[in-house]
Amino acid sequence: MSHFSTVRTELRQRDPLMAALRDLGYEPESGSRPVRGYRGQTVDADLAVKMTEGSDLGFRWNASTGSYELVTDLDLWRQPIPVERFLQRLTQRYALHTVLSASVEEGFALSEQTTTQDGSIELVVTRWDA
Amino acid sequence: MPQRTLRFRIRPDGRVEERVEGVEGEACLGLTERLEAALGSVERREATSEAYGTQAAQTQPLPVEQL
Repeated sequence: MSHFSTVRTELRQRDPLMAALRDLGYEPESGSRPVRGYRGQTVDADLAVKMTEGSDLGFRWNASTGSYELVTDLDLWRQPIPVERFLQRLTQRYALHTVLSASVEEGFALSEQTTTQDGSIELVVTRWDA
Repeated sequence: MPQRTLRFRIRPDGRVEERVEGVEGEACLGLTERLEAALGSVERREATSEAYGTQAAQTQPLPVEQL
C-alpha cells in the first residue's frame, strides 16, 4: 500500500543541526558552552554559535521532548531575519540533511532535487530491490 | 527487479511530506521509520490509491469557464 505522511520536524539530532547552521552561514561549536546575552549574562547550551554582535545563539537538549531548543536573548536578536523565520529555515535545512543521510543509509540514491517557487525542496530517491 | 521510489517535499517551514510510490516494501518502511525517528512526529498518514500519481490523473484538463 502506498502512503503519504506529513511530519512536523523537530531538531532531534546534533549532526544535521550543525550542518543546517553551517548552511545558513553560521559556525556552530559543539559541546557544553556558555551563551552570552544581556549585560554579559550567560546560560549553558549544548552547542552554540558565537556572535560578535547581539546575543549568541545556543541550542540546549531538552530530554523531555527529545529535541534541541534555541536559547538566546531575544532582546539582543541581531540576525538578518526574525527569529521565527530563522527557526523555519533552520528546520528546513535540518530536514534536508536528515532525509538525505537516512536515504543513503537505507540504500536509496538521490535521483532528483529541485526547489519550487514557494521555497519547498523536492527530493526523489530510488532504490532497486532484488 | 522493482524500483522503489520515495518523494519528499520539504516545506519552507520545515514540515516534511513523504510519498511512497508503488507497493510499499520492507525497504520503504525501514526508511520511513528511520526518518520519523530523526525528524519527529507524524501529523498525518494516509493511504494513497495507486492511481493517485499517474499521468492520467495529472493531465486532467481544467474546466474552461464559459464566457
